[in-house]
Amino acid sequence: MTETAIISTKDLNLYYGDHHALQDIDISFARNRVTALIGPSGCGKSTLIRCFNRMNDLVDNARVQGQILYDGEDIASSRTDVVEIRKRIGMVFQKPNPFPKSIYENVAYGPRVHGVRDKKTLDAIVEKSLKDAALWDEVKDRLHASALGLSGGQQQRLCIARTLAVEPEVILMDEPCSALDPIATAKIEDLVKDLKKRYTVIMVTHNMQQAARSSDYTGFMYLGKLIEFGETPQIFEAPSEQLTENYVTGRFG
Amino acid sequence: MGEKFHEELKELQREFCECGTFSTLMLKDAFEALKAGDTDLAADVNARKKILSARSDYFDERLLTLIALHQPMAQDLRTIICTLKMNTALYRIGRYGKDIAILVPDFAASGHLGRMLNLPYMADLVFSMIDDTLEAYRSGDISLISDFSGRDDRVDDLRYSVFREGITYMMEDPRNIGRCMDYVMIARYLERCGDHCCSMAEKIHYMVTGEKVDIS
Repeated sequence: MTETAIISTKDLNLYYGDHHALQDIDISFARNRVTALIGPSGCGKSTLIRCFNRMNDLVDNARVQGQILYDGEDIASSRTDVVEIRKRIGMVFQKPNPFPKSIYENVAYGPRVHGVRDKKTLDAIVEKSLKDAALWDEVKDRLHASALGLSGGQQQRLCIARTLAVEPEVILMDEPCSALDPIATAKIEDLVKDLKKRYTVIMVTHNMQQAARSSDYTGFMYLGKLIEFGETPQIFEAPSEQLTENYVTGRFG
Repeated sequence: MGEKFHEELKELQREFCECGTFSTLMLKDAFEALKAGDTDLAADVNARKKILSARSDYFDERLLTLIALHQPMAQDLRTIICTLKMNTALYRIGRYGKDIAILVPDFAASGHLGRMLNLPYMADLVFSMIDDTLEAYRSGDISLISDFSGRDDRVDDLRYSVFREGITYMMEDPRNIGRCMDYVMIARYLERCGDHCCSMAEKIHYMVTGEKVDIS
């Protein structure tokens, strides 16, 4: 890859107890690009992206070996400031999970935790984040209404706005559209295309058409291994590995 | 995208090979009719154009439906695109058969000039290219189409020589003009069929290997 990598792994291995969930993963994610990870359930896609913001720390018997370089710095080590990493590498989950608070408070929460107190600054962050998440026009008149009153698609964009509010560099998305209808999905996909101007997006998806539509690069994983990685059109039009071929043509998976 | 889709695609490919044979036969029969001055056969070829058109529409529709319903990927997608493109090319080849067929009455009374300016040889070259194209599509054996560049060059050269020879006859005796113009047109049709084979060969190569090649 000729583009600059923002995150890369070297000989990354992860074990859940005896289960070898990630095996010798070498992968690079290009800055300001969307990279999709595809593969059948249990292949390690989510496990891989959860390594990047150290979510696997929360799993008791998970053990990580190898290097995860973020801007050249190894973030797999115990010296890493995990809070700082999670600020710079945000995450959006499968099901929208807004806090049971107002729309405003959902977005302002992160900046507050990181020490922003000034009302005007917070207002500006909330507005900008909601605009960036393509939600502002729909909610600007009811910022103080409960976030739980939003539709699923709006809630998911709110979660993206919440992620953007702390100005991350990388956004991890773990099946961000699997709980959404096609119209909300299309909005999120459009949003992803806009987001990459300023952020790097790494997206796990089961929806191959979504990966094909939204990403610049695609990695195919199978049984804990990265089988093939390449530019998205190549992966979907003419993959070089037979396993990838079989997966994207629906012969298994 | 499960087994049903793959079965359907395979079945469609099989049907498409038959349809390819139908188009090819229009061209071959038209040329037979031309050689023999057989106006009945020529009329028969001309009448087949409706079936040809209906078949072509049928495949366009079936293939579009497959794309719309299954959003195929990788080799499946390449196969469908290749088949769509070949559908157009084979339709054109069938139509050239019709174009030749409607010239046959011109020769019924007058007979042919000499050995038809080498047209039968040119036709054989083109027919073998079409046959190899269809077989490569059916079997995925791209060695059959690997020499198309050279074969197409020979077809192009022959078209040029038909053209030159035709002009000579026409200058020699203006009564030859009608027939020679027909020969020149037929050479042009055959040459176009050769070009269609090259473009189909490119698509087949892409379908089978995923690599794009330039055959011209």
